[in-house]
Amino acid sequence: MASDSSPVNFNDGPSSPDDSFSSPIGNTLSSPGDASRRRMRRRSTTPSAFGTPPAAQQSRFATSSEATPTPSRTRRTATDGRRRSSTPSSTPMAAATPSSTDDAPPSSEGGDGFYMDEDRPTFVWGTNISVNDVKAAIVRFLKNFRDQPFTSESEYLTEGKYIETIKRVLEVEGDSLDVDARDVFDYDSDLYAKMVRYPLEVLAIFDIVLMEMVPIISPLFEKHIQTRIYNLKTSTSMRNLNPSDIERMVSLKGMIIRCSSIIPEIREAIFRCLVCGYYSEPVAVEKGRIAEPAVCLKEECQARNSMTLVHNRCRFTDKQIVRLQETPDEIPEGGTPHTVSLLMHDKLVDAGKPGDRVEVTGIYRAMSVRVGPTQRTVKSLFKTYIDCLHMKKTDKSRMLGYDQLEVDNCSGGNSEDTIFDEKKVEELKELSKLPDIYDRLTRSLAPNIWELDDVKRGLLCQLFGGSAIKLLSGASFRGDINILLVGDPGTSKSQLLQYIHKLSPRGIYTSGRGSSAVGLTAYVAKDPETGETVLESGALVLSDRGVCCIDEFDKMSDNARSMLHEVMEQQTVSIAKAGIIASLNARTSVLACANPSGSRYNPRLSVIDNIHLPPTLLSRFDLIYLILDKADEQTDRRLAKHIVSLHFENPESIEQDALELSTLTAYVSYARKHIHPQLSDEAAEELTRGYVELRRRGNFPGSSKKVITATPRQIESLIRLSEALARIRFSEWVEKRDVIEAFRLLEVAMQQSATDHSTGTIDMDLITTGISASERLRRENLLLATRNIIMEKMQLGGPSMRMLELLEELKKQSSGIEFHLNDLRNAVASLASEGFVALQGDSVKRL
Amino acid sequence: MVGVAYDCLANPLGAVRSSFEKAIASGSDPASFDGKDWGALDLFRHFLFDQAGLSQVPILNQKTVKWVQPNSLVRFRGMIQDMLGNEFYAGAYKDGTVWRTNKFMDVSQAPIDSSSDMRIWERNLLYCVPVPGQNSWTESSAEAVMHESMNWASQQREKRRRFEDEAVDKMDSIVSSYGSQGPPSAKKMREDGHPSQTTQFQESTTVATCSSRSMEPDIDRDSLACIVKIYDPPESELKLNEVFEFVGVLTLDSDFQVDKDENDDFSNGFSEDALVHFPPNKVPRLHCFIHRKLSVHDLIQSSPMMEPKPHLVKGIRETLLRHLTIVLGNDDLAAHFMLLHLLSRVNSRVDTVAVGKLSLNLTCFNKESVSVFGTQLSLAIENLLPITQCIPLTIDYLNTASLAPRKDYETNRLITGVLQLAEGTHLMIDETQLVSGTLNPVGVENARLLKNLMEFQKVEYDFKYYKMDMPVDIQLLILSEGKSNILPADLVIPFQPSSVGSSETVSAEALEAWRWYLTTLRSLPHSIDSEMQKVIENDLVEARQADRSLGGQDFSRLLTMGRLICMSLGETCLSLEHWQMVKELERLRRERLK
Repeated sequence: MASDSSPVNFNDGPSSPDDSFSSPIGNTLSSPGDASRRRMRRRSTTPSAFGTPPAAQQSRFATSSEATPTPSRTRRTATDGRRRSSTPSSTPMAAATPSSTDDAPPSSEGGDGFYMDEDRPTFVWGTNISVNDVKAAIVRFLKNFRDQPFTSESEYLTEGKYIETIKRVLEVEGDSLDVDARDVFDYDSDLYAKMVRYPLEVLAIFDIVLMEMVPIISPLFEKHIQTRIYNLKTSTSMRNLNPSDIERMVSLKGMIIRCSSIIPEIREAIFRCLVCGYYSEPVAVEKGRIAEPAVCLKEECQARNSMTLVHNRCRFTDKQIVRLQETPDEIPEGGTPHTVSLLMHDKLVDAGKPGDRVEVTGIYRAMSVRVGPTQRTVKSLFKTYIDCLHMKKTDKSRMLGYDQLEVDNCSGGNSEDTIFDEKKVEELKELSKLPDIYDRLTRSLAPNIWELDDVKRGLLCQLFGGSAIKLLSGASFRGDINILLVGDPGTSKSQLLQYIHKLSPRGIYTSGRGSSAVGLTAYVAKDPETGETVLESGALVLSDRGVCCIDEFDKMSDNARSMLHEVMEQQTVSIAKAGIIASLNARTSVLACANPSGSRYNPRLSVIDNIHLPPTLLSRFDLIYLILDKADEQTDRRLAKHIVSLHFENPESIEQDALELSTLTAYVSYARKHIHPQLSDEAAEELTRGYVELRRRGNFPGSSKKVITATPRQIESLIRLSEALARIRFSEWVEKRDVIEAFRLLEVAMQQSATDHSTGTIDMDLITTGISASERLRRENLLLATRNIIMEKMQLGGPSMRMLELLEELKKQSSGIEFHLNDLRNAVASLASEGFVALQGDSVKRL
Repeated sequence: MVGVAYDCLANPLGAVRSSFEKAIASGSDPASFDGKDWGALDLFRHFLFDQAGLSQVPILNQKTVKWVQPNSLVRFRGMIQDMLGNEFYAGAYKDGTVWRTNKFMDVSQAPIDSSSDMRIWERNLLYCVPVPGQNSWTESSAEAVMHESMNWASQQREKRRRFEDEAVDKMDSIVSSYGSQGPPSAKKMREDGHPSQTTQFQESTTVATCSSRSMEPDIDRDSLACIVKIYDPPESELKLNEVFEFVGVLTLDSDFQVDKDENDDFSNGFSEDALVHFPPNKVPRLHCFIHRKLSVHDLIQSSPMMEPKPHLVKGIRETLLRHLTIVLGNDDLAAHFMLLHLLSRVNSRVDTVAVGKLSLNLTCFNKESVSVFGTQLSLAIENLLPITQCIPLTIDYLNTASLAPRKDYETNRLITGVLQLAEGTHLMIDETQLVSGTLNPVGVENARLLKNLMEFQKVEYDFKYYKMDMPVDIQLLILSEGKSNILPADLVIPFQPSSVGSSETVSAEALEAWRWYLTTLRSLPHSIDSEMQKVIENDLVEARQADRSLGGQDFSRLLTMGRLICMSLGETCLSLEHWQMVKELERLRRERLK
């Protein structure tokens, strides 16, 4: 093996595994160590009654007879392991507390073993890594590792992180210890390197160490604890797995696409003699198969071919094969996703379902393919798979939009996945410190769409979102910002929507025209296979914690729109049909765009008249932007310039300082996840002041006319907006300037949509009721005038009057004011409802 | 070395082996060959290109597969339909004391003892199919070469028979199994025009839809798919849907069938090996030495490589325009637009915008005119462009066809759809057959797919848990009665034929020139000077001031037209004259729309 720079040594003599197994078993049978027996037996995965870690390791990793571990290497470790377990005192730790090793041989022997090891240090096969060194390093790591860089004091005061963890595991009677590989790296990078390079051996030693430590901590604990490594420093992409990764520890991200059914894998078989009824000792799996004893072992019997398998006394473990596929973002353009098989054991079985995004830590293995089931010769092909050690669902990180609520629900911050590596976070933080970050982000948002800067700012706020609050009393306030874009056709509303959809961590893009109420919320369907009724989520539920983009909002059926009421304020979708009553979360921001009902926006009509949306719904939008196509030569020129440069690759006009889409996405998701700003006192004051001022604008001095310029809903919107603005700066505090900007944004949006064109003031009634205060005043005046005319001109029960005549009279009386027949009709109708007049067709009769 | 040429063609593996032995003998450690070549490829490169051996290499297709010898050198032209991932194999191993290699082979020569030293190497598997919609005339020029080599090969075969009776017998039995099915010659299939082509497609799609159960998905009877094993490929050089020519060793061994019965740990979970679904006697394996990307231009095989000289190009342009005018019943304007349309391609992508596409919608067709002109047009286009497809759009078709490729996780394969097309394919969609009816969810999805294809030049592949957009470059022509709303084209032009086009006979030379013209000019570089840019900008601003309904899309279309007009004249710089032509064409078109 001169060429042993190879990652894997395939010097896998066919007979070697037999050696490695037969001897331990023999040992066990003759071993008097009762406690050890019992302990090993409990350990569900142990293939043989003999509980040495190499055997355990075999159970954890060996899958089939032809797996390509390097048994010759394993054998050496196996012997080492055996020696060590029979002489646990050989390690300093065990030696220090000999009393607790109940199955320890006499100490003199242990001493011998110790010295013997000293004389002939054992190495991991084919390397110069000393097993004892590794073991000592692991012990040191487990005992001494602390999260914080320790001071001399704390070293004595607090226990090591993993000692604590082990204790916790023991308390809950767990069977595995999760070890953060980064901790290993921080403590001992050499150990980390060895672990990644020779995972089989190092993990086996890890297991041995644990097995020795557990009895010290809790002598009565009898289960074996396995080490599960996670969070490797480097994560490999599935695409880059190559032969040099074989037998190494790798970490992969991907999406589960298939899970096999659970396969019971036999670990220990018990045979019974059909002749004499003698039960054999448990027979362990060897190279993937079990040797049936040919002869009854009972001395008196010794019948040939009489042994039969006793199924219910055999021991099985769960095994599952899972297919993992690359996540879409890792696939290069023009490629198809790669897949890899995972082998799951025990606890990991069914830990993930198809569709889950997971991060997996495991050992990459290759398995040669035999030509025939009975032949020894193998084909030149290998099947590869990953022996899974640890699996972590990263599903939550996909939603990215973490809110305070969720973080609180998470038990312990440790388990939270860190999807941003430190470098990236640093970068983002650097970015956030830029003084013009707000403008820069605005520019980076849909750089192909010009102007509309304030709209973009609003959209930016929507992406970042405010914080949702849940009071103890149960009242909750949404943090999501809803935006409606109304505008002329051809003003790139849809493009903005598409862009936001692409950018938002989660979200659905739908068109109002094709959406039904159930399509948006949830519907009940029959599962074609099982016939069960299942609840299928609609667009709004699917975009929980994201942005739901609804194009052509005005084309949506009323029925569908009415579903939105609940979603936009309560953020839930309630379902009661087909025996399913459920309330689903739909914490989604709604970004809708609508075209005016006449193809162009009519500035003389109110927003509501223009888009024919019910005011109740309209008032739920925090910001309503009108995007009007103004005949502006400047914009036209920019458009022309842009299109020309698009076609002729003119580098000049490409925006330089715009952030890349990926950076922008990372920025948004980092902020949503980690930044939860709070209102500073100053900001709160400013909010109050601004709101009062806004309200006051509706009071015209010396006039009884009252215009509602702001409602409590606006305050909520303002808070959300200022929170979002603080998030943009990665600031934990909402400052005064955020509030001022929020006011500005709101005003810009309201100016466009809620301005009463007859008076030029902002009038929230336009949004909330669709009728401006001045309009209402006008109507009242008209009603009054009509009543007066009727009182004057008509007698009780007298001849009826035609509507047109009435209009003429009206015009005569109040010269200068335009009246429409329609207005009059409305006025007469309301008079009729009072019982003042009777309306028959076109003639009015006083009653 | 004497007879290197012979070696490389008939016994390429011998050449591989000898070069490996040589490399080992010169003291190299096999470990140093991880992911690298030891000089075998140079041998083949030398043979194929320096000694012009490429033309002697038989092309593998449905016809030639009958007589091509296994383990000989072949070439295969096809589109990458699916990537089956990679495969680890024992690349080099020690047989006793000698290092041997398994590279470019499926099974090792000597049985590998699991105790021996070995190096694991990897190779990538690609599932390649003949380019969908490739017209038969593209193959004809290659055929001459093929016949030559066929003679040669049959001689070889005679010789070999004496030595390798057994192997040949095996081959023969495969051949006869094909023979009984009697594949009609591809040429014949093509001759009756697009209908047969499309029915063939429908057939293949229906096969695809039910293939989750069948073991042999879309192995068409008259198209030969092939699994290409690529060694040490540079990262991301090979992409889905690209057309390649692969030169490599053909293996047809039946060894893989053993796999199926083998009940190893993975097969009881689910079938691990996608290869199980491709019986090697139906889908040959090709161990690729050298691959070369083919563009549309490479497919037309015009003999003399002409320089795109302006006067020459202008002449061809004139004749081609005349031809198109006749085909289009003397509709000169439509012919002009048709020419631009046939020259279009996606130049670049900025965000979601595919710059350079020019889809064309000919309206005012009715049932009668479509039967006359539609057929005529599709025939003409088929003769002009190397890869063409046709979809008759009906409610039924929309509701049943599987347009988008989708991933089948049962078999771990990408199941092709009608819209899995190679770059530069021309797709004609006949909407005149569409009547009112109800679309089911499949139909709605399909309509959406088509619309996305029109707007963004992207096809959404269905990976079940997520969708993935694949950028494509497809020329889209729509025939419809009114303006198509399902398929919003860039250019809408009412078709106004004045005479029923008499089918003219076209000389072969003219046809060849036109083909050359259409494929070569497409890839001409293009630029614009800043003055011209100003002029265009001013024109656009002016136009928009006059008509507010003009938007970015219209501008973009005008510029694309400008580029294409300039290109069609064989020029690389947009001039004022070209721009005037664009404006004139646009004016005429608008007039017609009124």
